[in-house]
Amino acid sequence: MTNAHHATIVEEIATILANVQHPGDQFVMRVHAPKIAQKALPGQFVHIQVSPERPMRRPISIMLTNPEQGTVDLLIKAIGEGTERLRQRKVDEQLPMMGPIGHPFDLADPSKRYILIGGGVGIPPMIFVADHLQGQAETILFAGSEVPFPFALKPSTFLLPGIDSSVKMTIASLESRDIPCRLASKANMHGCFDGYVADLARSYLQALPQEERQRCVLLSCGPHPMLQSVAKLAHDLNIPAQLSLEEHMACAIGGCAGCVVETLEQGKRYYRRICVDGPVFDLNILPEFAA
Amino acid sequence: MMTAPLFEPTSPDLSTTFAGLTLQTPLVLLSGCVGFGDEYTRIEGYSHAHVGAVILKGTTLEPRMGNKPHRVYETPSGMLNAIGLQNPGARYVIDEILPKLPHDQTQFWANANGSSLDEYAEVARIFDDSPVTAIEINISCPNVKEGGVHFGNDPCMAAKVVAAMRAATSKPLITKLSPNNADIAETARLCIEAGSDGLSVINTLVGMAIDIEQRTPVIGNISGGLSGPAVKPVALWKIHQTRAIAQKHNIPILGQGGLTTPKDAIEFALVGSQALGLGTGLFYDPLLCGKVLKGLRDYMVRHDIARYEDLVGMLQQP
Repeated sequence: MTNAHHATIVEEIATILANVQHPGDQFVMRVHAPKIAQKALPGQFVHIQVSPERPMRRPISIMLTNPEQGTVDLLIKAIGEGTERLRQRKVDEQLPMMGPIGHPFDLADPSKRYILIGGGVGIPPMIFVADHLQGQAETILFAGSEVPFPFALKPSTFLLPGIDSSVKMTIASLESRDIPCRLASKANMHGCFDGYVADLARSYLQALPQEERQRCVLLSCGPHPMLQSVAKLAHDLNIPAQLSLEEHMACAIGGCAGCVVETLEQGKRYYRRICVDGPVFDLNILPEFAA
Repeated sequence: MMTAPLFEPTSPDLSTTFAGLTLQTPLVLLSGCVGFGDEYTRIEGYSHAHVGAVILKGTTLEPRMGNKPHRVYETPSGMLNAIGLQNPGARYVIDEILPKLPHDQTQFWANANGSSLDEYAEVARIFDDSPVTAIEINISCPNVKEGGVHFGNDPCMAAKVVAAMRAATSKPLITKLSPNNADIAETARLCIEAGSDGLSVINTLVGMAIDIEQRTPVIGNISGGLSGPAVKPVALWKIHQTRAIAQKHNIPILGQGGLTTPKDAIEFALVGSQALGLGTGLFYDPLLCGKVLKGLRDYMVRHDIARYEDLVGMLQQP
């Protein structure tokens, strides 16, 4: 008897091709992991052994893949011992890496307009979604950060309703692919919205005609307070939302039930595993983000 | 699906007998680490043919939600966990999960839990009429408020749990002993006399971790069970302490606690483990089983040992 999930996750020894350091303890790592690059979908993650001395793996969102080159890009912030060890790893070193793991974003309906809201190291899965949807469905990305964005930025030529013309900076790689994007920060960054990213998205959504707003779906990943603001936005404007969550993780294949979130489904409470039941969940089943 | 033979016909015999059962290899995937038996098949290259048995997640009579997060945290050379026996209840496991497992590829064992003697006995009775080939008795879970380690730390109470379950099932019973116990050999003796057919040694040690920025315990349950290489020396010593009484009654030990390398597996075999439990090591490497089997085989060939069972307990006095 074979279940659909059998052999969906690959264990690969990935080789580090680049590890570029950015301000705020951020780093962008490109690895050669051809099997994972081939299979990954937006919202999925990899589970990395950061060093032999800290053998428990760390779950890291996938930012971008290149199936032809066999590469996977990751944006990581060193926040503890594990991610700090990963930050110090060098080009040509090898990393045991499991992936792709998890329930991806539901992007099946091309008639929708996907509003992507990412904060900090929650930005990477939003970039993967934007890349995936390019030419498939309308996509707009809003990104927030309190440390300098680890991307090349440039002024955007796209006009977005509800957003002041002084808020013009975008991620250059998205602009070149015709994906509209705006940035938010409370750290006084030139050309960025001075405030929270959920408020930036709210300005845009409130300026839309009702029938356009009704076609929107919010997809979001980021710190918990930001996700709460995104949830409030979804509730206030009655827009469906999918949130990508994180939690300490051990096995990442559904075996240990270590990484759970409480859900409320048909009136019953459950703890669902973020690794394989998520990391992407429909807002409607998450009581901690209820209206 | 056909699985290729693991080894050449001339390879050492890695099968082992345990509590009257024949295991195709000595490796046993431990309860709480491998869900309800199917989860590791998500990994390309994982094969049930590598393991002698898979022990299902701890199961109670009624469903349990488990503890609030955080439930896991890495510590030096190990990890803490406090899952809190999240499970859908024994009836659901039998009706919905067991029928879908490939019982022709490996054996599946239950792991029974309760907060009263009656509950332990009822769980045993329910699993008695199911395809599991053995039932592990968890009297050593440190992460629940009632039952668990509170039974396991009292040798007489531990034996009462075994006796209650013995009366409820004819399947082999394997008692999982706590290292937090003052005299593990005495608990083992009482459990064997109460009808235990095998012993799992050891469950986790109780510990905690602290977040200095939040000034809170990291684990939602405050304390958790420590596993991984940090506990391996404790596990070896507890198996060594338990071995004499187990041997006297011809009762096998499922050795476990920080086994993460082929060398560890040989150490656990030498100290007297008729079967070898893998838990946290799978989190380090989901394809650990094949590597441990290869290491065992290479060692046995090098030392001219024909059968795994000949390796068990070969430890010499210094």
